[in-house]
Amino acid sequence: MSNYFYVAPEQLIKDRAEFAQKGIARGRSIVAAIYDVGVVLVAENPSASLYKISEIYDRIAFAGVGKYNEFDRLREAGIRWADGTGYTYSREDVDARALANYYAQHLGDMFTEGQKPLEVEILVAQLGNKFRSTKLYRIAYEGTISDEENFAVLGGDAETIKERFAALGVGHLSLGETLKNAMTALAGPDRVVPVVDFEVGVLEDHGDRRTFSRLDDPEIARLLA
Amino acid sequence: MGLPLFDAQSDPGPSFVRFAEMSGLALPPTSSDHSAHATTVVAVRYADGVVMVADRQATSYYVANRDIRKIEAADRYSALAISGSAARGIEFIRLAQLSFEHYEKMSDSSLSLEGKANYLSPLIQRNNLTTALVVLPLLAGWDLAHQRGRIFEYDGAGGCYERHDFAVIGSGTPFADSTLRLGYRPDLERDDALALAALAIYEAADNDPSTGGPDFVRNIFPMIVTLTSEGFRELDRTVSEGVFRSINDRRSESGGVAGGALR
Repeated sequence: MSNYFYVAPEQLIKDRAEFAQKGIARGRSIVAAIYDVGVVLVAENPSASLYKISEIYDRIAFAGVGKYNEFDRLREAGIRWADGTGYTYSREDVDARALANYYAQHLGDMFTEGQKPLEVEILVAQLGNKFRSTKLYRIAYEGTISDEENFAVLGGDAETIKERFAALGVGHLSLGETLKNAMTALAGPDRVVPVVDFEVGVLEDHGDRRTFSRLDDPEIARLLA
Repeated sequence: MGLPLFDAQSDPGPSFVRFAEMSGLALPPTSSDHSAHATTVVAVRYADGVVMVADRQATSYYVANRDIRKIEAADRYSALAISGSAARGIEFIRLAQLSFEHYEKMSDSSLSLEGKANYLSPLIQRNNLTTALVVLPLLAGWDLAHQRGRIFEYDGAGGCYERHDFAVIGSGTPFADSTLRLGYRPDLERDDALALAALAIYEAADNDPSTGGPDFVRNIFPMIVTLTSEGFRELDRTVSEGVFRSINDRRSESGGVAGGALR
């Protein structure tokens, strides 16, 4: 006879949540913010090749914190979903809200039914146009999806960083100012984080179909000056 | 479509085609041959890149379309041209464009030009060996790693061959190819290469009923594209109009004689 211990569902959920939160808190945070003409995503990331911020589609970007292998698989699935949807219907039909909902469903399923919950928190950002508005969808490890206004913070330290970022300025500032504020908020008052340890991705219209670009260190330095 | 998640063993990787087949997005083509055909595209290498010119006509039993685009940017540094079945060709371009972009997003680096050329081989093979709707594409691009323009042509079975001088696809091939063979030099400058490529299309249009020439009535002119270190660039319609008008004027002056000093 196998040993079977009764665990109250409340306890089970609490344990799983704690497990996921611990995993997420181990990594550094990400700030995503809407600026006057685009969306900027800023991650503290000492690796120059293992990205936390990526392009999903023409006007959609992805950011993930927590376990790299787990959010990278979600990133890949997002690209496949977007390319597949655009191929089947039209590029215009690829919508961040639909993708964010699929992510939320998957994270929710993994949280309740998976072997273990995913130790990730992700963000789907969409740059608006005539037909859609600019959006930041934050999806937590248990599948909670939130439509964030103006900016979103992911990661273990989210609440503190959120306060710091909000205190630095409200409204849609320029890219340079927003970037500076995001970096200051991520670093906090007691740390100095060198520019090379930041990864920055931007969604901005330059007349091309694809709007995502990565900012390299010289560009970041120029924007901060 | 739900979220396409795969486990490590069944993961299709950065190949869009494999993913599309695994998830049933790309249906196997079925056969019928009453469709429009796209014809005659030339690509010529010159000192700083490649120039491509394509006529604008799609033909079934009669003219199906007078302003079809047979050259499209596959990505920033390469162009794909099609001949054969227009329906499959346009689908082929869509699939190729998406595949290159998909690879780039999935693996955060772009495919090499040779990688792109090779990736197309099995796609062509599969299409051409399973349907009557044959597609023959032409890939030209600027090779960023080797800093030169390159042209790749394909045979019906998907075989990929690099051409160091020029390449022609489509029903006007005999005439366009002859023109290029007589006029090509390895040290062509851009404007000479452009004029030669345009002349090849003019000859094809003059002799092959399925190839459309410059249409001075409707103001539709063959498409001209260059691939250089600055990437894919489609030249303005007025440039094409100028080039073809000057060929046409010379030809009118000679009374339709293609050879001699007025060529």
